[in-house]
Amino acid sequence: MAEQPGSGLKTPQKGYRLFQKKGIKVFIEGVWHNNPIFGMMLGLCSTLAVTNLMANALVMSLSVTIVVILNSVITSLIRGFIPDRVRMVAYMIIISTLVIAVDRFLKVLLPDISNALGPYVALIITNCIVMGRAEAFAINNSPGLSFMDALGVGSGYTLSLMVIAFFRELIGFGSLFGVRVIPASITPLGLFAIPPGAFFALGTYIFFINLLRNRSKKEKGGSK
Amino acid sequence: MKELFLLLFASIVTSNIALTYFLGMCPFLAISKEIKVATGMGAAVTVVMTFTSLANWLINNLILLPAKLEFLQFLIFIITIAAMVQVLEMFLDRYSPTLYSAFGIFLPLITVNCAILGVSLFMVLRSYSLIETIFYSFGSGLGWTVAIVAIGGLRKGLIFSDPPKNFGAAGITAILAGLMALAFIGFTGVVRG
Amino acid sequence: MAVVKALIFLNAFSLFICLLIIFLDRIISNYGICKITINNDKEFTAKGGKSLLRTLFENKYFIPSACGGKGTCGYCRVKVLNEDIPVSPSESLIFTREEIKANYRLSCQLKVKTDLRIEIPSEYLEIREYKGSLESSEPVTSDIKKIRIKLLEPDTIDFKPGQYVQVRIGGEAGTDYRAYSMASDPEERNSIELNVKLIPDGLGSSYIHALKEGEKIFFSGPYGDFFLRTDSARKIVCVAGGVGLAPIKSIVLAWSRQPDKRILELYYGSRTIKDLYDHDIFVKIGEANKNLRYFPALSQEDPEWKGDRGYIHNIIQEKLTAGEESEAYLCGPPIMIDAVTKVLTEKGIPLERIYYDKF
Repeated sequence: MAEQPGSGLKTPQKGYRLFQKKGIKVFIEGVWHNNPIFGMMLGLCSTLAVTNLMANALVMSLSVTIVVILNSVITSLIRGFIPDRVRMVAYMIIISTLVIAVDRFLKVLLPDISNALGPYVALIITNCIVMGRAEAFAINNSPGLSFMDALGVGSGYTLSLMVIAFFRELIGFGSLFGVRVIPASITPLGLFAIPPGAFFALGTYIFFINLLRNRSKKEKGGSK
Repeated sequence: MKELFLLLFASIVTSNIALTYFLGMCPFLAISKEIKVATGMGAAVTVVMTFTSLANWLINNLILLPAKLEFLQFLIFIITIAAMVQVLEMFLDRYSPTLYSAFGIFLPLITVNCAILGVSLFMVLRSYSLIETIFYSFGSGLGWTVAIVAIGGLRKGLIFSDPPKNFGAAGITAILAGLMALAFIGFTGVVRG
Repeated sequence: MAVVKALIFLNAFSLFICLLIIFLDRIISNYGICKITINNDKEFTAKGGKSLLRTLFENKYFIPSACGGKGTCGYCRVKVLNEDIPVSPSESLIFTREEIKANYRLSCQLKVKTDLRIEIPSEYLEIREYKGSLESSEPVTSDIKKIRIKLLEPDTIDFKPGQYVQVRIGGEAGTDYRAYSMASDPEERNSIELNVKLIPDGLGSSYIHALKEGEKIFFSGPYGDFFLRTDSARKIVCVAGGVGLAPIKSIVLAWSRQPDKRILELYYGSRTIKDLYDHDIFVKIGEANKNLRYFPALSQEDPEWKGDRGYIHNIIQEKLTAGEESEAYLCGPPIMIDAVTKVLTEKGIPLERIYYDKF
C-alpha cells in the first residue's frame, strides 16, 4: 500500500502568462464565489455596523482589504516555517500587529472617521475573513496567488459593503458620502440609519444577490 | 448600586451586544436551531466574556497603563481570550463531554467571537471601573445568550412559514434579527443615559 | 525604547500564559488511572487523557491506522462495550447508524477518561512492534526503491503473503505512521522487503527514500485482510499496477515455493519498460514452473517491448478464462481496480472472491 500525497504546495507556475491567468481566476473567485458577505457569510459584524454611511463603509472595507492582503502575503511567505500546532497563534499575532498599525494610521489620518468606527477597526482581528483566507488559502499557496485571492476577497467585501451602504445612507439619511442628494422636504426613512435597518438591508441584499445567482444559473441551464 | 444594575439591564436590552452592536454574528447565523445547544453556547460565551473582561481589566489597568503600553491592548486581549477558551475546552472535556462534542468546531471559534473582544474594547473605550466591567460583561453575555436563543427559537418556528426562497437561511435570519432589534428598541425609554 | 519594553512584556506575558495553561491542564485534564479490558480477557491500566488508540499502542496493542489519528480513514475502529460513549462528528461521517448503535467507535477519536471494555478482532493481538535496520535501498525505477529491512527485535516475523506493515515515520520518536505492503516471501522470516514509490511532499516516502544503510527503522504489523487464501484449489488471478506489485510479488513468491497445484495467472501492467520492475523475476519463475502464466503489458508505446500493449484490464478481457473457478487479488491505483473489477465480474468471478488493496 502506498500513501496519499500530502496537502502540499501546488506546482510552481511556469511563465508569467500562466500566473496571470490563474491569478485572475483566483481574483474573480474571491469577488463572486467566495464573496465574504453572500458567498461565505463571514465578516458580517462589521458589515452591519459600518454600512450606515458610505464614508464609514469605504474606510472600513479598505482597512479590511489592506489587512487581509498583508496577512495573506505574510502568511504565505512564512508558511514553510510555521509548525502546524502554532498556526492559530501565529495568525493571531500577525493579524493583531497589522490591525494595531492600521488603527494607529487611521487615528492620525482620519480622526473623525476613526472615532465613528470606534472599536470596529480593532475588531478586524476577529473578522473571520482575515483568518479564514489565511487558513483556507494563504497557508497552502504562493504569495502571488495569495495576493490575488486576498485582493479578490477584499474587493468583493468592499463591493458588498458599498452597495449596502449606498442604499442605507440614501434611504436613511438622504445623502451620499455626506452630501445631501434627496431634497430636504422628503424625510428620510430613519429605520435604515439604526441597527435594525442594518439587518433589514443585509437581508434584502442577500435576497437580491441570490435572485441574480439563481437567475444566471437558470439561464445556464445548469442544475441547482 | 442602582447604576450598576441599570448597566446590567441596559447591556441586556437596550445596548444588546448582538442586536445593537452587531457583535458575535457568525455563530448567530450559523448555530443550529436546537435551543439546548444555543443556551449552552450562550453560557460558554458568557463565562468566557466575564472572566476575560475581568482579566483584561486587571492587565490593562495594573500593567499596560502604568507602563504606557496601551498600544498592546489588542494583542494582549486576544491572547487572554484564546487562553481562556483553551481552559474552557479542557473543562468541558472533563466535566461535560456531551456539551463538548455538541459544540464541536464552534468551541475554538469562540476565540474569534467578536463579541468577546468587543466587550473588552468597549470596557477600555468607556473607561469602566472594575465593578462596572463585571456587571457590563456579565450583562452582555446574558444579552447575547437571550438574542441567540430567541433567534434559534424563531428560526425553528420558520418551518411553519414560507419565506421567499431567495432569502436563504442567512437572509431570513437577518430579517428576523432586524425585527427583534426593532422590538428591543422599544426598551430605550426604560433606561436613561 | 518603547519597542524593547513592549517585546519584553509580550514575551513574559506569553510565557506566563503558557505556563498557566500547562498547569491547569495537569489539574483539570487529570483523568486518573483507567483500566482497559480487551475481549473480556486481557486487561491493563493506563493513565487517562489520551486517545484510546495511543493508549493501546503504548501498551503494545496495535490497531491499524492509516490517517495518523485524524479520524478520516476508519481503520482504527473498535467495539466499545461501555454505555453512553459520545459520538464525535468525524465518527458520524464514517460509521452507519447501525454501527454506532452496535457501539463501534474510532479509537483515535475516543479519549480514555474512565475504565473501558473493548472488543477487537483476535488478529490484532498478533500484531507486534518491530525494530529493524536498513539492509539495502535499491532504486529499481526512476521513483521506486526496493527497501530491505533486517529484523532486530523481535528478529522474526510471521505474516501472510499480501499483508502490510505500518512504518513509524521519523524513527523511534516518530508519531506518524504510513502503511506499506510487504513484497518479500513470508518464508524469509528475518527480513522483509518494501517497494516504496516517492510521492512529491509525501511524508512517508520522503523519509524512507532518505534512509541510509544501517539506520534503525520501527514498524508494526502484520496488518490487512488482503492475503492469499489457501482454503481452496481455485485458480489464482493476480493483477498488479505499477508499485501495486509489492503485495502481489509476495503472493507469487509464496506460491512458487510450495508445490501448489493451483494455476496462477499474473497480469502486471505499467507505463513503460523502465517502470516494469522485477519483470525478469516472473519470467524466470514462469520458465521453472508451468503453472505460472505471466502476462506483462505496457500502456505506452515502446519499440523495445515485444509483449502486449495496452491497459491491463483490456489484456485481462482478452486472455482470462475459467473465471467461475478463480479468485482474484488486485493491487494498484483506484482507477485500475475499478476497471479490472468490472472485467473480472463480467468474466464470472463473484465479487466476494475479488480481493483488492487500493492505494
